[in-house]
Amino acid sequence: MNDTRDAAWASGAVAAPASLIGQRITKLDAPEKASGKTRYLHDIDVPGQLHAAILRSTKVHARIVHIDTSAARALPGVHAVITADDVPDQRPIGVARDHLPLKRGLVRSTRDEIAAVAAESEALARQALSAIVVQYEELPVVTDAEAALAADAPRVHPPIAGARPGAPVGLAGRADNVAMRFDYTHGDLAAAEAASDLVVEDSFSLHYVTHCCMGVSGVIAEFDARGNLLLHSNTQVPFLHKREFAEFLGMDPGRVRIVQPPIGGGFGSKLDIYPFEVICVFLARATGRPVKMVFTREEEFLASPTRQPVRLTLRSGCTRDGRLTFRSVRTLHDNGAYTSWGATTPFVMMQTFSSLYRVPACDYHTLAVYTHNPYAGSFRGYGNLQATFAVEQHMDRLADGLGIDPLEFRLMNAQAPGEVSGQGMVFRSCGFQDCLRIAGERSGYAEKRRRHAAQRHDGAVVRRGVGMASMLHVGGGAKIYPSDGCGTILKLDDFGHVTLITGASEIGQGSETVLAQLVCEELGLPISAVTVVNNDTDITPWDVGVHASRTTFIAGNSAIGAARKARDKIVAAAAPRFDCAPGELGLAAGHLVRLSSGERLTDLPRFLRSLHFAEHAELVMTTHYYEPPSVHQDKGFKGDVSAAYAWATQVVEVEVDTATGVVRLLQVTGSHDVGRVLNRLGIEGQIEGGIVMGQGYALTEELQVVDGKVRNPNFRDYKLVTAPEIPLMDISFVETMDGEGPQGAKGVGEAPAICIAAAVANAIENATGVRITSLPFTPERVYRALHGRLPPVPPVPPLAPAGPA
Amino acid sequence: MSAPGRPQALMPEPLGGEGNPLSAPGRPQAPMPEPLAGEGTPVRAAAHPGFARYLAPVRLEEALEAMARPGGATVLAGGTDLMLQLGIGRVRPAATLLNIRHVEGLEAIGDEGGELVVGTLVPVSTLLADPRVALHAPLLVLAARRFASEQIRNAATVGGNVCNASPAGDLATPLLALGAAVTLARLDGGKVRTRRLPVDGFFTGPGRTQRAADELLLALHVPKAPAGAVQRFYKGGTREGLDISSISIALAARRGDGGALHEVRLALGAVAPTPMRSPGAERLLEGVVPSAERCAAAARAAADDARPIDDVRASAWYRRELLRNMTERMLADVCA
Amino acid sequence: MSAPDPLPAPPPEVAIAFTLNGVRQRASVGMGASLLELLRDGMGLTGTKYGCGEGECGACTVLVDGRSVASCLMFAVDADGRSVTTIEGLAHDPRGAALREAFVAHGAVQCGFCTPGMVVQAAQLLQRCPQPDAAQASQAIEGNLCRCTGYRKIVDAIVAAGQSLGGPAAGGPR
Repeated sequence: MNDTRDAAWASGAVAAPASLIGQRITKLDAPEKASGKTRYLHDIDVPGQLHAAILRSTKVHARIVHIDTSAARALPGVHAVITADDVPDQRPIGVARDHLPLKRGLVRSTRDEIAAVAAESEALARQALSAIVVQYEELPVVTDAEAALAADAPRVHPPIAGARPGAPVGLAGRADNVAMRFDYTHGDLAAAEAASDLVVEDSFSLHYVTHCCMGVSGVIAEFDARGNLLLHSNTQVPFLHKREFAEFLGMDPGRVRIVQPPIGGGFGSKLDIYPFEVICVFLARATGRPVKMVFTREEEFLASPTRQPVRLTLRSGCTRDGRLTFRSVRTLHDNGAYTSWGATTPFVMMQTFSSLYRVPACDYHTLAVYTHNPYAGSFRGYGNLQATFAVEQHMDRLADGLGIDPLEFRLMNAQAPGEVSGQGMVFRSCGFQDCLRIAGERSGYAEKRRRHAAQRHDGAVVRRGVGMASMLHVGGGAKIYPSDGCGTILKLDDFGHVTLITGASEIGQGSETVLAQLVCEELGLPISAVTVVNNDTDITPWDVGVHASRTTFIAGNSAIGAARKARDKIVAAAAPRFDCAPGELGLAAGHLVRLSSGERLTDLPRFLRSLHFAEHAELVMTTHYYEPPSVHQDKGFKGDVSAAYAWATQVVEVEVDTATGVVRLLQVTGSHDVGRVLNRLGIEGQIEGGIVMGQGYALTEELQVVDGKVRNPNFRDYKLVTAPEIPLMDISFVETMDGEGPQGAKGVGEAPAICIAAAVANAIENATGVRITSLPFTPERVYRALHGRLPPVPPVPPLAPAGPA
Repeated sequence: MSAPGRPQALMPEPLGGEGNPLSAPGRPQAPMPEPLAGEGTPVRAAAHPGFARYLAPVRLEEALEAMARPGGATVLAGGTDLMLQLGIGRVRPAATLLNIRHVEGLEAIGDEGGELVVGTLVPVSTLLADPRVALHAPLLVLAARRFASEQIRNAATVGGNVCNASPAGDLATPLLALGAAVTLARLDGGKVRTRRLPVDGFFTGPGRTQRAADELLLALHVPKAPAGAVQRFYKGGTREGLDISSISIALAARRGDGGALHEVRLALGAVAPTPMRSPGAERLLEGVVPSAERCAAAARAAADDARPIDDVRASAWYRRELLRNMTERMLADVCA
Repeated sequence: MSAPDPLPAPPPEVAIAFTLNGVRQRASVGMGASLLELLRDGMGLTGTKYGCGEGECGACTVLVDGRSVASCLMFAVDADGRSVTTIEGLAHDPRGAALREAFVAHGAVQCGFCTPGMVVQAAQLLQRCPQPDAAQASQAIEGNLCRCTGYRKIVDAIVAAGQSLGGPAAGGPR
């Protein structure tokens, strides 16, 4: 497909090449992947490597009385067996520095790593595990966040005697079980509530799900002869990783190198440092050999971070003429035994509570509480699925309570370009109202909703319903680190081939293709002219990482900046030769052209060679670092934290079989404000994939954690959506042409997953008259709800106000 | 630009440890020694499960001899269940890994008068493809269509599935409804002796059958559908395939002139330790043209006969509700 | 004093002979080893993936005697005398070529981890159903999990590949 166009350009058959923007560009690495040639981390073997396996606790909460590794050490082919005793100076990792890689003295959850083996083969390593003898003393378990708040609840991180003052929680423990708290407010809540004509309150419960990347987790750690560390890692944040590893290992960060083999899926699962990675480094150090570890799928289910489960109580109000007045929210987060990014989901949730639709007043309080459950990490949408589930159900409830059409109600409260939200987010480009209107029209929402509601008592066993939900998410990065930027190095060789060296990682979402597309658009070259290098921290410039749907926006602007510098350098050198000003020249179809006439002056490769082999040689190599013009939030979490914001509205149609509880997702009509469509093929793929991920979250997926143990650590009983179950998808784009975005584009990676569950909840209510406020909508739970046998979600208890700072 | 590391100070520090006195931790129990190896990582056993020898005989006698030898034999047919069960330790390897896929005569489907004889090695996918099965035992086609995925169907054998005796019984439930039988063979005094057992009663518990350790299942005998045959299958779950049943229902009957149902057999899966029939429902349906009320009563009787449990897939209550509702729907379709 | 070797000697391996991607091969395998292990670790063919080891995800799909199976559940000893085709073996197959081209053109590849299994499964589909419609293609891959694409473009690609093969130049893609 691309080749035909390239050939036409090269031959001059096409005078003015069509812009690449908005085209269907095939993914650069797709041919290799479709041939099975791509070598993922699992497929890489390093000479001399050993294989690691980790012994994990089977107890939920216990004191480690004794670990006897002598039998394991004696096995042939075993090079090292380590426990916490072998790494006495190990430092705790994780967001709250509460997580020792090898657990010392106490296990707090069933995935806890207590010993590790490096052996000649994976089979030998696992055999050695079974020769390790552990004595535990079981301790009382707390697996409910509310119970963990009680004064007499077991402490998950009890204070550790002899810890030095100021030591992190992983070394010192803490006095209570509160891992984190957030308190947010804007506007005058009391006044807003007093001014409300209708107030509704509900409690919601959002469950455990997990990423299920098709490629399981793994790492290869090796030290070279000079003691530098090389990690083959699937991290999404290589530069943060590099620095953090150096910190944990007490090394100079300049001596840590991360290379990223192609990844078998990310979705946010690889944004933190996990014990198994550090443990493999310990083993590499202990054995002097490279150490490789790959999870089994069962281990992937047992030991990976989950999506943050949330208990949520929301009170929403509006005036009788349909204007929102306030939202008051409390959430309780089960933090699990150790703190990962899940605890920070309130950052994102407060954006939705405070700013999805126009909300004059909002307050939000939340606690993340330690328990002995698995811990939550970051997962596509990062709390927004949970928050939207509540907010959008209330939009329906409020509208129905007022007797106003829910689409009209939403339109009345949807922001327009130029508005500033209660949280201080500046909505420069904003297609919210268009998204609502278009999704509403294309789906026939209003008429269908009325019709289905009217037919609710006709006795049909199989019923249909429609539901709508919108979402707001950052679309131009999120300034949560000191920098939200990305660097690019670009070189053009003697043959017009571009090497684009970017800090932005490719995690399967197609970033490398979009970056190539943006650069080729600037340089007038075909996509085949670009090689993207993005996977080695020794080579690529800094990027904060792949999260917050930022890569197209920020890495894109960075790449464009470098490309424009290259173009400017070329036309500046060419101008004297063609006796004109640089501004009169441009690059198109692989040529230097006179902009006014389109006349081709010389082909670009020839010109580049003439620069190179001149008396004063010049190679065209440029760099650019792009920092988005967003700001850090203040202590009250206010501020324009992203350079752009994105919206989407999805309308879903479901069929509910009331005799079985099975909910089929028939159709999803989505309208997305993406700023501008860059790679049409890529963006469709992202949205379709996100919709199906949202479908799984709403209908089929449930990680069953009971008394601290995962009951279904396999695909047989953890149900991902399969091909025959997907809905019809009608996806349309609203192109609001963001002023700061690359070619006007905004981020979209997380958006499509965010509103499905909320829309499905609203659709089930439309079909059956029953509103279900807890996920998932599996057949049994829906059936129970229809028969009044689903236990109601208890309200979140009042959260004690924060103590003095 | 300073090297970035932890998120900005705007993120609240985890709450400090000063203040509350530590309340007493839970009562420590006596240490629980676990001298046995194996506790720890709940991952699959290494790939050396302890078979002493491997045999892939061509002659049935040789296979049966291996099964009768001390130490016994673990039978390998399709392997789809065996690989899993070895991995999780549910099956302990016998002395011999006995691959029966080369034994002659076990992979055919024969038409023998009133019944189809389905060799033990016939893959489930063949049930879907073979026109004789479609013609004479459509219930098996309905069940096979909902059996796992194509990759599994191509390898899993009918004999393996029956011997595996899962309570969900994706093939067992329809075979029970069809009144099928099995032929088992063993070596007795050097000679191959066979015996034929009805499927009804063959399953004695989860994963257990009447097959002795030295017996090999040779074939299934499936009575051909008579004129006026009525056969239906239902499997609970959200997917078409790859779903362990929350429940399954298989109905076989013959509709006589006048529309009455005869020889009604209603089999239920995943609602008891083994696939089972519902005598209560069958009694209500036998010999009558069921009215809507009769269908509802039969459905209630099926739910009453069932003995489901709560497990990770579904609760007992829901299984009963689903069973009642889907039996009623199935019967309503039959009587429509 | 030397410690007794606590492990019994590993059980004897079994010699097998089979055809792999059209080439006769010999191998020595453990009795409990899976075909997936043999392909990846023994033969160095890493195109076939470990996804779950339980036959639930389809990432390990290969063709054995022309039929798709989950190689993680097949015993390596059972490959004796049989013909195995992996994703690598479809390199010169007209169905394989048409599928590869269609997967690329239709955006059916994102992280790509499920892709080899999808292509092999689809190749078997096209063998018995040369021009599947979307429902048939969808059904055929019900045992292949994908977390990235939402399946729609994979189904589109399979349908398109069938169409491209079924044209006037039947039997070859171009």
